[in-house]
Amino acid sequence: MAIITISRGSYSKGKEVAEKVAARLGYNCISREVLLEASKRFNIPEMKLIRAIHDAPSILDRFQHSKQAYISYIRSALTQRANMDNIVYHGLAGHILLKGVPHVLKVRITVNMKDRIASEMERESIGEKEALALLLKDDHERRKWTKSLYGVDPWDSSLYDLVIRIYKLSVDDAVDFVCQAACRQQFKTTDSSRHIMDDLAIACQVKASLVDHFFDVAVTSEYGNVIIYTKTRERQGQRLKKKVEILKEEIEGINNLEVHAGLPYPPDAV
Amino acid sequence: MPIITFSSDSYRKSREIAKKTAEALGYKYVDRKILSSVAVKYDIPEAKLIKTLDETPSFMGMSSKAHKQYLAYIQEAVLGELLDDNAVCHGVAAHLYLLGISHVLKVGILMDFDERVRQVADQEKVSIEKAKKIVRRQEKQRKRWSLDNFNLDETDPSLHDMVINISQIDPEEAVSMISTATGYRKFKPMTYSIKCMQDRELAARVRVALLKDFPDVRVQARDGTVVAEIKALKREKHRKSSAVKELVGNISGVHYVEVHAINDIFRQAAESGR
Repeated sequence: MAIITISRGSYSKGKEVAEKVAARLGYNCISREVLLEASKRFNIPEMKLIRAIHDAPSILDRFQHSKQAYISYIRSALTQRANMDNIVYHGLAGHILLKGVPHVLKVRITVNMKDRIASEMERESIGEKEALALLLKDDHERRKWTKSLYGVDPWDSSLYDLVIRIYKLSVDDAVDFVCQAACRQQFKTTDSSRHIMDDLAIACQVKASLVDHFFDVAVTSEYGNVIIYTKTRERQGQRLKKKVEILKEEIEGINNLEVHAGLPYPPDAV
Repeated sequence: MPIITFSSDSYRKSREIAKKTAEALGYKYVDRKILSSVAVKYDIPEAKLIKTLDETPSFMGMSSKAHKQYLAYIQEAVLGELLDDNAVCHGVAAHLYLLGISHVLKVGILMDFDERVRQVADQEKVSIEKAKKIVRRQEKQRKRWSLDNFNLDETDPSLHDMVINISQIDPEEAVSMISTATGYRKFKPMTYSIKCMQDRELAARVRVALLKDFPDVRVQARDGTVVAEIKALKREKHRKSSAVKELVGNISGVHYVEVHAINDIFRQAAESGR
């Protein structure tokens, strides 16, 4: 079965589509659950995680690397969930956090600005200008977040398998299309795609465990053979190796763990 | 029944899907073949019309005036063809000048960057690095073309009702999705949307008639009433308005012509400086 990520702007009816798709296919619909899980597991207040995944990094964040750490926690929680398959994720950045997994159907739902403004005005009891300003600010933040952390524009259609505009097409029509696409052979979980997902989950777990002390590590995993890439020098390298030994015991599914220092990071590394 | 427009960053693949959709629905298929009749009608080489759709005006290439004129010819021909509904339109940028007409289903077809690079490398027999450069240049060119000619960003997903990435979703599935969407009530032609289409076609015909003498003309049409906006000096206003009325008056479908002559401030400044 498939994993479906639904990307959306605020008030873009993506949540409605996600819930209906999940109900029709009998999948789990998740969004905030991932943050709660990450918050619980890594003992970080949920609000900090929400800010990490919503607001673009400030200059201070770039030095503190706290945002990268929080995103690693969220990614770890999401990949753990996604590993169970049959989910519809409509939280932020699903298409980026689950990048490279073949059985992920990446969907973006858009709505025209007028409808979004009307929804925001109704919900927040504010005027049209204020609603527009809030939406533009929100969109700007989301775009800046993705651009600064992953170098891509979330509005770029080529990041998705399907982009549906709720205007002439209704929410139910969008649900039909998403379900139709999700049932296709390309999005069925195969042995090889499951391995890719398993490896991504392992790599994310390793990264989340290390990122607190070693923010600049990158991790890859292939059939449980994990390679940690680092730029750290000899002394820190020893500390990393000690930590790695403990990880081997802690994280399930690791066959072998190696540390490579000074090598360029592979593009698919977490 | 509706009109379906296709736009894509991969011309060949989207043409294949557009053709299959037309066949599946039994619709008329309109593509760049229409350019041959335009070329004959206006006595222009067909290659120049193709260039108009692919390139922006440049100092060494096509002049801005010629580009605008040729594009107007193409628009006129395409809109004329699409008056009958039940049509699939591909490769003539129709999605950019059919905005706001409710029975038009606008579909975007995308392909992953790497796949496009491989295709270009195979077709042009060049290295992957060179192919990447070509694809990036094409992307920039497409965006600039739509911004220059229609002030719209081709890559903006809100210009489409649905965008399908065929690197993951196979063409047959895409055809099936598009065919399903055409059955939805919102894409059925209504009296109003048909009238909008007729108005737009009339405006395109009038614009073609005026472009030669009035390169800056902007035309709107509603129920046979045509409003033409031209630039003129104060002393020319009357003469130019009469000329517009004379040129447009005989066009079929035109019942009344209104001319708005706007003061040409640049020419006025140039003349006062003499």
